[in-house]
Amino acid sequence: MRAERRVEYAKGLLEEIGLGGDRLEMHFISSAMGREFAQLATEMTDRIRELGPSPLREGGSDG
Amino acid sequence: MIIGEQKPLEEIKAMTADHERILVLGCGTCVTVCFAGGEKEVGILASSLRMASKIDGEEKTINETTVQRQCEWEFLDEIQQQLESHDLVLSMACGIGVQAIAERFPEATVAPALNTTFLGLPEEQGLWTERCAACGECILHKTAGICPIARCAKSLLNGPCGGSQGGKCEIDPELACAWQLIYDRLKARGQLDRMLAIEPARDWSTGRDGGPRRLVREDLRLESHQHEEET
Repeated sequence: MRAERRVEYAKGLLEEIGLGGDRLEMHFISSAMGREFAQLATEMTDRIRELGPSPLREGGSDG
Repeated sequence: MIIGEQKPLEEIKAMTADHERILVLGCGTCVTVCFAGGEKEVGILASSLRMASKIDGEEKTINETTVQRQCEWEFLDEIQQQLESHDLVLSMACGIGVQAIAERFPEATVAPALNTTFLGLPEEQGLWTERCAACGECILHKTAGICPIARCAKSLLNGPCGGSQGGKCEIDPELACAWQLIYDRLKARGQLDRMLAIEPARDWSTGRDGGPRRLVREDLRLESHQHEEET
């Protein structure tokens, strides 16, 4: 799927810039997959917490 | 068209390291069509550099603009003032555009954001392949419209060589053998007898072997330029 390849490209850009490619992810979820959606959202939230605030954020607060 | 490819961001960052005010300059012609250095790519590179320089704790100003053609003076003159307020022009044009900036604006510092790769065409979306070596003496009428100079790894004038297998070149299984293509096309057109014609050794001085080339059309030249050259 082209959208998937474009997300991979954007992840590469984020990595090169120094923001970290792991801040972006793409998943395929239908409207009937509530549990999976919640699980992935939780995982992504945990990952972002671990990565910390964006290096672009001035002051570096964890908001 | 001229095909180009953006250099890795790390290499571009190294070229911009000693500069504070950078103008990312795109070109609206060949490199726009091959998605390497048009307005959209200028926007992406400029944003990437802004973010990267902020992360690195640097205070760089990065502006962006795109001209219709970086290889012609009249399009460059439009941005003279803009150029003067920057200490680096990061050109996303081909090597011709980069040199045009250096030539038109002797005070400007210019750096290439692209590698100019070849003269070719998009075979399909996202795939470009070489078609012309700009050798200066076209023989496409003898080779069924397929160029053995640009498309044969050995630039053979009388091919194929012994390395062609299954229609592919021995240097790369992805690369079609140009002489196989020529053979197939001649066969389909009932012109296989042309394969037997021997092409004599050619004069390579019309190509890069003859040094940098120059083309003059007196019918097009303006008198003022002719006088300049005579004096």
